[in-house]
Amino acid sequence: MNSILLILPMISVLIGALVLMFMSMYDTFKIRHFITVSVIALVIAVIFSMGNFGDLYSESLFPVILGDRIVFDSYANLFSILLLVGTIFIILVGESYANKKTYLKGEFYSIMLFSLFGMLLLAHANELITAYIAFEIASFSVYIMVGFNSEDGRRVEAMFKYLVLGSFIGVFFLLGTALIYGATGTTNLTEIAEFMQKSQENIALLYIGLTMILFTFLFKIAAFPFQSWVLDVYRGSPVLITAYMASVFKIAIFALFLRLYIQEFSMIHELWEPIFETLTLLTLLIGTWMALNQTVIKSMLAASSIVHTGYLILAFLALGEGGAGSYAIIFYLIAYLLSAIGAFGLVSHIIAQTKVKITYDDFKGLAHERPYLAAMMTIFLLSLAGIPSTIGFMGKFYVFTEAISAGYTLLATLAILATMISIYYYFKLIAMMYFYSSDKEIPLQTFDDKRISTYAIGALGLLTIWGGIGSIVVFFVPIPSIDEILVVTQTAIASLFI
Amino acid sequence: MSADILSFIIFLPAIVAFILMITTKDANTVRNIAFVTTIIIFGLVLKLYLSFDPEAGIQFVTNNVWIEQYGINYYIGVDGFSLTILMLIALLISPAYLLLWEGRTKGYWINMLLVQTGITGALLSLDMVLFYFFWETMLLPIFLIMGMFGTGNKIFSTIKVTVYTIAGSLLMLIAIMYLGTAYYAEFGTWSFAIDSFTQISTLSYDAKLWLFLAFATAFAIKIPLFPFHTWITDTYTNAPTGAVFILSAIMAKLGVYAIVRFLIPIFPEIYSDFSIFFVCIGIFGLIYFGIAALMQNDIKRMFAYASASHLSFITAGVFSLNAYGMSGALYLIIAHAIATGGLFLLIGILHRETGFKTISNLGGIAKQAPIFTVIFAIFLFSNVGLPGTSGFTSELLIIFGLYEFHPVLGYISGLTVLIAASFMLWMFQRAILQDRETDNGKDLPMRDLKIKEILGLIPWVVLIFVMGLYPDYFIDKFEPSVLHYISDILPSGATK
Repeated sequence: MNSILLILPMISVLIGALVLMFMSMYDTFKIRHFITVSVIALVIAVIFSMGNFGDLYSESLFPVILGDRIVFDSYANLFSILLLVGTIFIILVGESYANKKTYLKGEFYSIMLFSLFGMLLLAHANELITAYIAFEIASFSVYIMVGFNSEDGRRVEAMFKYLVLGSFIGVFFLLGTALIYGATGTTNLTEIAEFMQKSQENIALLYIGLTMILFTFLFKIAAFPFQSWVLDVYRGSPVLITAYMASVFKIAIFALFLRLYIQEFSMIHELWEPIFETLTLLTLLIGTWMALNQTVIKSMLAASSIVHTGYLILAFLALGEGGAGSYAIIFYLIAYLLSAIGAFGLVSHIIAQTKVKITYDDFKGLAHERPYLAAMMTIFLLSLAGIPSTIGFMGKFYVFTEAISAGYTLLATLAILATMISIYYYFKLIAMMYFYSSDKEIPLQTFDDKRISTYAIGALGLLTIWGGIGSIVVFFVPIPSIDEILVVTQTAIASLFI
Repeated sequence: MSADILSFIIFLPAIVAFILMITTKDANTVRNIAFVTTIIIFGLVLKLYLSFDPEAGIQFVTNNVWIEQYGINYYIGVDGFSLTILMLIALLISPAYLLLWEGRTKGYWINMLLVQTGITGALLSLDMVLFYFFWETMLLPIFLIMGMFGTGNKIFSTIKVTVYTIAGSLLMLIAIMYLGTAYYAEFGTWSFAIDSFTQISTLSYDAKLWLFLAFATAFAIKIPLFPFHTWITDTYTNAPTGAVFILSAIMAKLGVYAIVRFLIPIFPEIYSDFSIFFVCIGIFGLIYFGIAALMQNDIKRMFAYASASHLSFITAGVFSLNAYGMSGALYLIIAHAIATGGLFLLIGILHRETGFKTISNLGGIAKQAPIFTVIFAIFLFSNVGLPGTSGFTSELLIIFGLYEFHPVLGYISGLTVLIAASFMLWMFQRAILQDRETDNGKDLPMRDLKIKEILGLIPWVVLIFVMGLYPDYFIDKFEPSVLHYISDILPSGATK
């Protein structure tokens, strides 16, 4: 294997970020130039990643310089592709938003690519200090992007809340790393796993260290009891960044912690199982409660992302030895990525064209004015609610089946109860779009529908449906099978143990 | 290729719907193409019906891999039970298109086509995940039809019925996943096919009972059985005629069908042990809904309760553990679907023309619209169970079945059929025959049926009499399936 090929995706994202940064010094470039350049950089990165897609490999590049800190394996490759594709979609879907909002300047895209670079690094990190650095590169870029929304007074609150809390929780990660180093003498994940298999000494210190790291994880994915920042931060930031945080950033965090969890499984599972059980329950409960009480769509989607986090923690519980159930997690992340970017992107598209806050009421009569947008929103909402024929159903089906299979029938039942309630707040929006006539003064007629963002939304809608129908091979519909994702996932997990 | 005829029947409406969605905007064109589609499907189903061999069990099977990892297959096939209902659906939908005047927009007809794909798919699936897939999907078009074209407090009732039924379905989903994992634990491979689920032997009696209840709740909500019936009055009052027609004539029957198809083979012991419980719920529902129907002034509401009452009766027949009861239940499914479907369509026309749907405001219809009255009466008599109509044969069979199950229950059910007769005929007399009592007896603006509508209804009227007078021809098609259930699936000694 050509080893330089492995590092090229990250390099091209970094170069793209630098180019964008220099471009932003000149006024001659318009927002569409920035979008073009960033998409080109990302597409090049995807093409480089696709070179090894589906192969089973695990290599440490330049061991003299990098040591084992960064590992290039099929697992990192899979997550890189998810992150890159997710970011491409966010940039494309947000095209009309970025064109309308004057505060989104060129450097926004530069920062976004820097944060993406951090996330890619996070997916490749096999050592805690490297992971921390990658983590902070990603986080700090996101803190800045949260503050871009100069039209909303809440942005200062959002940014500072996120910055202060995020930095505070980052310290726990460092403390945990220090404790683990104290216990085992190493910060390399593979070596920690080997240590734990061999000896039981300093086990208490190790457990405390791991739990500290768990806090960071829970904060970033907005699980209970670290969920309260979500509403303010998601509300105050530009919609694009909300989508970015809810989908892409979450995937990056999961990339690191899934690696950690699967490698040190036998030890951690015993310790974290009761914690995760409680957290699943409480996260679902709080998320559902928060989602029910929202009137602004952006906040509803933000709050419901907490519920989806609850499902993901349930899937974490059901992982099993050797990561047998990780298919469910990865598939659910993909499902959520598609539907959340779609839903948030659509909201951003509407915000870009109008001046409204986008509450439930603002969606009244959308189906009559803009049938295409309403149909797409319906697809994304159905997918979020887990209705069959969308990818969201498949994701939920895998998660719940794995959970029941691992013996968590009661928790799976509770999760399904949360799903039942979620039907209410998702279907309420569909009802608003289809069953009411428009009663407001929004100049929907001036909507510009021939835009990149509308096509990107359409592509996401098609993917959502394709993922849900998969490969029902009826004689007239030959579709590639979604089982392919499974094979790739298994390869990815297998590469962790090489 | 002949095996794929089922896929064709399932997916043709959906494909036509998608093509129509992007090509044309004219509601009339859409409506005509939709009608032609249903006629084509009727032809295909008829071909299937004639080439079906009653003795051969499940036929026309297609079994393709869908999701390999979890052993989920696109597994469809047809046996005596599902064929009969498939025929019924095909027979009901195309004539109904001729009588639905409310469909003035493109969206209405596209949703009607999509709902047809959903119900046929659910009917023919032999894989539980595939079944769930269609079972949930068929709800969405109904949701949209009700919300967009309903009357009154339509949004509340739409959300209510949606949340209600999805809640039931999700309970069923848990049970399906639990059975799947149990199969995996026992045999080491994943499978969600019904034949696989029947082989599971590791489940404890308690676990089976819980799973049975989860399934039964989902189906009881759809049917609806007491005490899961509270959605019907709002829904049937506020929903447009098309949705009411689909819900009462077809979807409710799918609930009963699902009990026969899934609950009996997968949980035979629970089915026979708890049959007395369900028979009692059925007979209680028959009486309770019957009395509720007597009190109604709104015709749509009255028929909502009447329909629930008959469906409770059907359920009692399904749980009677013998061939009489079960054949009668299946026969009544058909008879009731035709009669109730027709009545709801006629009431739709009545409501549209006169603007009233309350019994006290109506009257004097008979002299203005004689053909309407005659056809209305025929449906009504079939619903009441007058000898010579299809209702009579089927109700008689169920009463026999219940009598064999327990003589006392047989007597009770025999007597309570009178309730149905009383509220139906009383309504008929007040709303249709008698002169109006309000507005000084001024005549309502009622027109008689048009030729097109009569043509649509004639097959049903003929069928009511043919089914009443020559039941053997129809029963022969599904009787072997019924006997197979009774003798092979139920534990020995359970049949009485």
